[in-house]
Amino acid sequence: MDIWATIPQLLTSGITFGAIYALVGLGFVTIARASQIINFAQGEFVMLGGMITFFLLNKIHLPYPLAALLAILIVVLIGFLLHLLVIYPLRKASLPILLMATLGASLFLSSASALFFGTLPKALPPFSARAPFEIGNISISPQSLWVLVAAFLTLFSLYLLSHRLLLGKAMEASSTDPLGADLTGISRNLMIFLAFGVSAGIGSVAGIFITPIFYVSYYSGTLIGLKGFIAAVLGGWGKHSGAILGGFALGVVESLSVAFIPSGYKDGVAFAILLLILYFRPKGILGSPFIDSRRW
Amino acid sequence: MVDQVHKEFRKRDLLYSGALWLLSLILPDPQLHYRREYQFRKRDLIYFLTIIALPMIWSDPHFHHIMVLAGIHAILALGLTLFLGYAGQISLGQAAFFGIGAYTMAILTTRCGVPSLPAFWASGLTASFFAYLIGRPILKLKGYFLALATLGFGEIFLVMVRESPGLTGGVIGIFDIPYFSLAGFIFDTYLKQYYLIWGILMGLALFSKNLIRSKMGRAFLAVASSEDGASAVGIDVSRIKLSVFVIGAAFAGLAGSLFASVMSTANPETFSLNLSVLIVMMVILGGMGNLYGPIAGAIFLTWLINGLSRYQEYSLPIYGVILILLLVFFPDGIGTRLRVRLIYLISYSGRKRRREKVEL
Amino acid sequence: MFLSVEEIVKHYDGVMALNRISLQVRRGTVKGLMGPNGAGKSTLFHLISGMEKPDSGRICFMEKEITGLQTHEISRFGVGRTFQTLQVWGNMTVVENVLTGMHTRIRGGFLSTGLYLPWIKKSEEIAIKEAKEILELFGLFGRWKWFASQLSYGEQRRLEIARGLAAKPDLLLLDEPAAGLTYPEAKQLAQTLSRLKEAGLTLFLIEHHMGMVMEIADEVAVLNNGELLAEGPPDMVKSDPSVIEAYMPRK
Repeated sequence: MDIWATIPQLLTSGITFGAIYALVGLGFVTIARASQIINFAQGEFVMLGGMITFFLLNKIHLPYPLAALLAILIVVLIGFLLHLLVIYPLRKASLPILLMATLGASLFLSSASALFFGTLPKALPPFSARAPFEIGNISISPQSLWVLVAAFLTLFSLYLLSHRLLLGKAMEASSTDPLGADLTGISRNLMIFLAFGVSAGIGSVAGIFITPIFYVSYYSGTLIGLKGFIAAVLGGWGKHSGAILGGFALGVVESLSVAFIPSGYKDGVAFAILLLILYFRPKGILGSPFIDSRRW
Repeated sequence: MVDQVHKEFRKRDLLYSGALWLLSLILPDPQLHYRREYQFRKRDLIYFLTIIALPMIWSDPHFHHIMVLAGIHAILALGLTLFLGYAGQISLGQAAFFGIGAYTMAILTTRCGVPSLPAFWASGLTASFFAYLIGRPILKLKGYFLALATLGFGEIFLVMVRESPGLTGGVIGIFDIPYFSLAGFIFDTYLKQYYLIWGILMGLALFSKNLIRSKMGRAFLAVASSEDGASAVGIDVSRIKLSVFVIGAAFAGLAGSLFASVMSTANPETFSLNLSVLIVMMVILGGMGNLYGPIAGAIFLTWLINGLSRYQEYSLPIYGVILILLLVFFPDGIGTRLRVRLIYLISYSGRKRRREKVEL
Repeated sequence: MFLSVEEIVKHYDGVMALNRISLQVRRGTVKGLMGPNGAGKSTLFHLISGMEKPDSGRICFMEKEITGLQTHEISRFGVGRTFQTLQVWGNMTVVENVLTGMHTRIRGGFLSTGLYLPWIKKSEEIAIKEAKEILELFGLFGRWKWFASQLSYGEQRRLEIARGLAAKPDLLLLDEPAAGLTYPEAKQLAQTLSRLKEAGLTLFLIEHHMGMVMEIADEVAVLNNGELLAEGPPDMVKSDPSVIEAYMPRK
């Protein structure tokens, strides 16, 4: 088969993937803008969002919107708990310890969800039950459009939060200059606490939107989380627009790579991109407010 | 470290004191590198004799087997502690070097019929060669980004292994790797393997201790503390970092080859991110900047995992919870925290006596 | 010429930090570098010690060009330095800080130190003896077993100079060695520095303490806004009208 004929289809699926990575990346960025912490359990929020919605929908038989809303609330609660039980006690600990703690939390969340929800992969029904759009010989599922809409709505609301509200400014201050923020009366712990909630919420939204497209199982959170992080680094660490741009770039490159190299290497592509971007331009495509070229 | 100690003496400290005093005789010194021991002490001899005598006292093969695994983990942790505990850089890619060592051993012995010993050295060399290639670009990164880059390397390694079945056997891996043999002597029982691995571990620990107590160890600590200061006195910071990374990788490679020859199999599931996390945990719980701590941490965590494995599907969540709890309660290492507590107790009783004397 | 800086230019995002600065330091002398905050003094030190690269111009040390070399390479040529913000290694003892200062002078690579070959042991022992002598000179001998982080601020400053000295440099760059010191401490420091000068060491120091500079410096250069205002013997510079203008601008 001709490689070039498949490219448009790969491009559209790449954009869908990209929107997912962008959403997950936004979760990372939210926490990073408040605390310089990188939460490796972010991917688990995505997985939990899908899993809990599935559980509420199929086991408790709640209506779809209610189940989704409740799932988001539960995941936000888990995010708050993660901060209170793990991050807050370690607020003075050094970086490797925080890193290990979030990895441990990720391990716990994924294995516990295997215990609760079973190890079988799960899928939600699509939001709008209509046939895929056909444009030429490309088919676009309506759910992909939903994901795109979700990504841009999240970006927009985060933009409002960080550029139009005092709360966003306070979060940013507590990240860039913790001591200074403390001295001006901003409670840094509260900021990080809120950031964990917001980021868990974003993660669960991402999870609910993508579960109709892909099967979600208990172990899929880690990889999605890592790729979301790569997207955030690729676009420019700490920038909302960077996470969106990086997400789309990563999604498209990853999808297109399938046309040229064996599909087994697909997961390696993201990490290869990560190594390249960290080596040549650690600031990311759009530049990063947190990384100056001398320190990183 | 010191400022985290509770300022007030608490009643329940009395409960700890007896057990702590006993522990203090064998616990590694938490601030070993501060009071760098330039000579070998009695404590080193006690460790040495314990390692020799332990399998004779406990002649249970299961115990030997777990201790063999613990020894392999300890070699990994020893390599990482030079990089993480002393030079202050973080790596989540140790499992990949472990895997490279294991596959080198597996391929050389099963396909090429190379004897164990040359294959053993070759796996260390291969791992350090890859560490050199990967370390040159990524070691200019710091903190989370270094962690992420090494993690990325580990994932790429796994993808490579899975996707090249011709060389590595793909997902299934390589079987029937011959036992380690030395001049016709085959290490085929757990007891023999125990002595093989702990012997090699002691050799490597000696090597590390020599590094740590000389100018190289000081250079590591200088790089960890202030890179500007280090380069101002003529230390080539990037070269030191690269060298420690390569040494750590070589240790991991040697551990990998031992693992392959002990388990007689090598498959990609073993070398996942979980193993890297486990190794970092060993170093953190053993205490940073400490040579014996990570070995103790390796033994502790290996036994913990072994103990948990009987709870089957509950073992992973419990493991995660225990990891988090250990991190929250012992962020600077189990030994260190207990030791600090003990030092505080001793100094408290001293101060109390003095205070009473003054009042009289 | 011992150290010569020729036509050095350095920009930071459009701000001119140093504009075509040229100055020399002669062997065996003490040169002071003065100027208001933000004049570019520390930038000049960063450029000489290789922490940053100049946009143009060249720096020569002992007839060899060192422009654009890495910090550790320049340090091996014999240029030691201290920092304005202290960079002592708090995770090491005082004596180890000084021993690390001797890093380049102690023999041994990775393999030989790992095997602890006999000559390593010998050179370590010699180094420890020498380190204690240096500590004695700076009045830190009683503290040699302490962590560097446990020392007071003034002691840490002295430790940093001791560490810079341990590398046996030909030229020592001191970035505000007396900043934050009490008057008696600063006086003691000045005495130590003049003793070092008598021993033949060349010093180049940034200092705000007018008295200290006048006391020990043979020559003074004054920077302001990246320009070299005046250069010459201390008395002459002190009475230079442009210097007075820079320090006490008329309302």
